[in-house]
Amino acid sequence: MRIIGPDELVFGVDNVEASEAFLTDYGLTPAGNGRFNALDKTAISVRPKDDPSLPAPMRTATMLRQTIWGVENQPSLDEIEAELSKDRKVAKADDGTISCQDDAGFEIAFRVSQRIKLNLPGEKINSPGAVPGRAANEIGANEDAEAKPRTLSHIVYFIPDMDKMANFYIDRLGFVVTDKFTNTGPFLRPQANDDHHVLFMIQTPEYMQGLEHLAFHMQGPTELMLAGSRMVRKGYESFWGPGRHKFGSNWFWYFNSPLGTHIEYDADMDKHDGDWVEREKPMNKENSQMFLFENVEKWAPGGPPPGKG
Amino acid sequence: MTERMLLCRLADIRDGHSKGVAPDRCGRDRILLIRQGTRLYGYVNNCPHYDRAPMAWKKDEFLNGDRSRIVCAGHGALFRIEDGVCELGPCLGQALTPVNLVVEAGAVYGHDVPSERCVHGASGSGRKTGR
Repeated sequence: MRIIGPDELVFGVDNVEASEAFLTDYGLTPAGNGRFNALDKTAISVRPKDDPSLPAPMRTATMLRQTIWGVENQPSLDEIEAELSKDRKVAKADDGTISCQDDAGFEIAFRVSQRIKLNLPGEKINSPGAVPGRAANEIGANEDAEAKPRTLSHIVYFIPDMDKMANFYIDRLGFVVTDKFTNTGPFLRPQANDDHHVLFMIQTPEYMQGLEHLAFHMQGPTELMLAGSRMVRKGYESFWGPGRHKFGSNWFWYFNSPLGTHIEYDADMDKHDGDWVEREKPMNKENSQMFLFENVEKWAPGGPPPGKG
Repeated sequence: MTERMLLCRLADIRDGHSKGVAPDRCGRDRILLIRQGTRLYGYVNNCPHYDRAPMAWKKDEFLNGDRSRIVCAGHGALFRIEDGVCELGPCLGQALTPVNLVVEAGAVYGHDVPSERCVHGASGSGRKTGR
């Protein structure tokens, strides 16, 4: 099952204008028909909630209507279709996209990934004792950097039955558990992606089922903080961060959004292979993050006390 | 009943819209106000889902698309404007904490405004958690 990761998330929203403004300010590129692309063309799409082309809404508050997973090639897609057709109705669209529901009732779809391969520099740092990341006279602080999300990183669902949900992705679609928060849920990566997680879940009552958050990868921690601080300056509501998670090691900064979900910038996530042995910890604030900061207004020290210069 | 605090002028709130007021020391609005004609509603800006969950998606934006409900832009929870009860979302059946408001000579005052300490460290917020 050569699944790469989420290719596109489709939302039915009650405020299209606000959602489009948010996604543009977040750094995605409008691509028409409500679609907003990251640099590798993974995407968020927003449509009015009563758009008849959308899958039916859940009965909860979530505005997520469909998660479209990208797979490596047509044989992978055929394999998934054959597997899921064993016990559920799988629809096939003219463009080859297949769709159905997962075992928790989320609308999911699969297609040969539309993402393009990126060839971009990582964040370059200078560290004593190491080969310099930047050449002499190459400046690190670029306030004009575009700071655009590179690729759709991961999604997190609120789900009523974590074991049932995890087993579907593990047993039927070949996802692998990298780490686990006890009685909360596992971090999962699919076979064609070495990122620590593309899917995480949090056990909740049934009436909460939906999307907890989604995240895009940024170049590195500096771009993450640049993009996040621009969002704050534009008046958007920082929810949690910046900080750095323990499981996955990714830097994070979460914002509220008019799409009824937190939307995160992340950067510098761990990568794993088959040799990795999963860890398990209780879910709490100590295990959730290595450190946590909050944006404050810019300030600078001067010479003498104010008014005495 | 604590000392009252000047929140804003009534004319600062567009009819049918919301406004965040009384920023704490971190710049987060402690109170959200909604004006519907001559009626004014005020709640503590914290979703009952968590002990520290500011609700707007952008400065002053606390309402859903048709402005018929207060929305938490964390997970889309919807609250009735008139009594703050959550009708849909993670805090179903719980309610926002109301703020006693007084309007005098075009100015809006609030009682029992949470402390201006930053929301980090919920114990210092002066907020009733209801738990």
